[in-house]
Amino acid sequence: MKGKIITMLCVAGLVIGGCSKDHTPTKDDNTNTQATLEQNVLTDFAAVLANPNYQDIQAKALIMNNAIIAFNASSTDANLLAVRNAWKDTRGAWESCEGFLFGPVEDFSYDPTMDDWPVNKADLDALIASNNPLQVSDIDALETTLKGFHAIEYIVFGVGSTQKAANITARDKLYLGSLGQSLYNTTTQLRNSWDPSKDGNFTTQVITAGKGSARYKTRQDVFKALVGSMADICNEVANEKMQTPLTKKDSTQDESQFSHNSVTDFKNNITGVLNAYKCQYGGKSGHSLSELVASKNASLDSKIQAQINTAIASFGGITTTYEKAIYTQTNQIKTVQAAINTLKATIEGDLDTFIEVNIKD
Amino acid sequence: MKKLKVIGLLTLLVLILVKCQKSSEFPADQYDDRLSGGDATVFDATSKAFGNEFGNMSTYDQYIHEAGDLVFSQTFVTAPAPIHSGLGPIFNNTSCASCHHNDGIGLPTAGEAQSSLLMRISLPGTDAYGGPVAVPGYGLQVQDKAAFGKVPEAKVKITYNYQTYSFDDGETYELRAPTYALTNLYTPISGSYLLSPRLAPPMIGLGLLEAVPESEIVANADPNDANGDGIKGRANYVYDVTTKSVQLGRFGWKANTASVLTQVVTALNQDMGLTSKILPVESSFGQSQYDKLQDDPELPDTIVNSVKFYAQTLAVPARRNTTDATIKRGEQLFKLAKCANCHKQTLTTGVNVAFPALSNQVIHPYTDMLVHNMGAGLADNRPDFKAGGQDWRTAPLWGLGLYETVNNPGYYLHDGRARTLVEAIMWHGGEAAASQSYFSKLPKADRNAILQFLGSL
Repeated sequence: MKGKIITMLCVAGLVIGGCSKDHTPTKDDNTNTQATLEQNVLTDFAAVLANPNYQDIQAKALIMNNAIIAFNASSTDANLLAVRNAWKDTRGAWESCEGFLFGPVEDFSYDPTMDDWPVNKADLDALIASNNPLQVSDIDALETTLKGFHAIEYIVFGVGSTQKAANITARDKLYLGSLGQSLYNTTTQLRNSWDPSKDGNFTTQVITAGKGSARYKTRQDVFKALVGSMADICNEVANEKMQTPLTKKDSTQDESQFSHNSVTDFKNNITGVLNAYKCQYGGKSGHSLSELVASKNASLDSKIQAQINTAIASFGGITTTYEKAIYTQTNQIKTVQAAINTLKATIEGDLDTFIEVNIKD
Repeated sequence: MKKLKVIGLLTLLVLILVKCQKSSEFPADQYDDRLSGGDATVFDATSKAFGNEFGNMSTYDQYIHEAGDLVFSQTFVTAPAPIHSGLGPIFNNTSCASCHHNDGIGLPTAGEAQSSLLMRISLPGTDAYGGPVAVPGYGLQVQDKAAFGKVPEAKVKITYNYQTYSFDDGETYELRAPTYALTNLYTPISGSYLLSPRLAPPMIGLGLLEAVPESEIVANADPNDANGDGIKGRANYVYDVTTKSVQLGRFGWKANTASVLTQVVTALNQDMGLTSKILPVESSFGQSQYDKLQDDPELPDTIVNSVKFYAQTLAVPARRNTTDATIKRGEQLFKLAKCANCHKQTLTTGVNVAFPALSNQVIHPYTDMLVHNMGAGLADNRPDFKAGGQDWRTAPLWGLGLYETVNNPGYYLHDGRARTLVEAIMWHGGEAAASQSYFSKLPKADRNAILQFLGSL
């Protein structure tokens, strides 16, 4: 007991000594603190968000592939529903990662390989009707509009989301089986491209920015890429994916038209922006861009967070499928677009300027 | 009172004259070197640096630019289709952006999803317009992809021969010399034919280059080397399908295209199989792949014009670190090496009251827009109108320092054979041989200064 008291006194002495140490923060201290935070944000971006998100896509693509295998073995409507649900789950993780679409996903065309659009219906019909073996290697050799999410979506949901298990032919199933495996293979390539244990991985490029990274000569470069990608997806959602079907009053211009999943797609894209800003994924969080902004400009951080949350919440106004909403809920759509464009302007303006002004190394 | 009036008038006159004189004598060296595209310069050094619109356009013009941007990035599919219809039946890629990644330079591969290299083909000789002679069954371009069930015209096989060389100080560098061959021809070609590889170039500043008066470009020509500097820039005059007349060639690696509009409709037609009013005939017409659909032109003028406008209004990224001492030194050496004799720093666009964004801009594209003999090493040996088999247009260097960022890892020259700026420089021959030799003899620090200067563009 005496020993404990002595120990506690020593600890208290150390703590008090530490606290009372007369040290006025110097410019160097501030610079080091700032640099450490910047580094931590990059490290956690890779460790807490990018890698887990890509792993999640891969894991969910495997579940979808297994669901397709099960459906092909037993083509019931229940098994078809399982494929559809697995498609939506995989799609959710994928759309979320589009909030930070830079690096290998862009460099190696993993994006169009998995998510090109529209489906090349004329060629797809010809492919099914042909004697092509439809093995995975055959699928890999096809144009991107004949594989990936939307080709699978077309088979398992059908036009107007009216597909029935009984209507899916043997050739469709052969095609579907290889599509599922091919998509899984691409998600594996994407995941591996960031895997810190793999040679030439992109995680290293990000976390060594400004310290030997061949890709990012300064930390500012990678922050600019991140912020740019956040703004890009805002633009793509508000001014392309939502706008084109709306102005043309044409639901065939709607990306996930077979599954009626577009509103969820859009929302997951903006949730991806939130994840990128807050460095969070799967219930975990890390040092974030938000923290970095708040350390210098708390009101800007509050503004960005509020605008992201407003944009995400605004999707609640769309209460039907996007295919119908372009006719019946145009005001609600415009509200969402305005919220996203407000966010986009802040990211491109205030946040980008913040990066330029505050991240110098 | 009268005296006062006279004094007042004289004072006014002096003021006006001073004002006029001041305006006309604004010294060239007071322009900001960073503003590569004049008013159409954008301060962006990210991977999206080549995709910015002009900052000084009206709301309506922005709308058209953005409409063109959408078309530029959208994937086309085989006809008939409810949307984005008309791809192929034979093609090189499925969207503009598939080759022009991030509006930048492409990848020097052929036949893959992200490939950006295509092959021009022709028979020896010249056609009725003085241009290359189309190959029966192939035309003037090899389409190495096809709609499902159709046969591509051929596949392109690229092989590289790697060889190591040394600078005068002993440091080594490697060049890879490509060889191109066609395989899997869908139908035989009788006799010999000529091939020329072409890599998708960056999209920046095309509208500005189009706006440079022909007189200014031609004034820099020196076909007989009258000034004795060993450089013989020549204008390429080409038959233009849009105006159906002979025009100055401005675009393309051999300056064989007269305007942005012609470039756009030709690329849509030849690279993607999309027909327009200007080029309403499918690239596969008369061939076994032809779809025989009565759907031409597949693209309305509004779509074509939006893409044209998009291409004309992509801003040029600003230079970086222009006051850095090493970069300044590199710029001096660039001039001493006579690189700047062809890669001319400054051109000025013509006055255009209809479109002020392009009007009267002092720009720094680092090109004379003329064709030059670049030697046997780079030769495609396929003449293209007035451009001979060893001739290439001086490539604009603006944005050069961002190729790695925009199109990681970045490739250089007409077929992307050069993987670094050093390789690109060392491939220069012909009229540029002396400049290449100058660079080769420089100490490493000076070579690096030139590279840093190029990196600042």
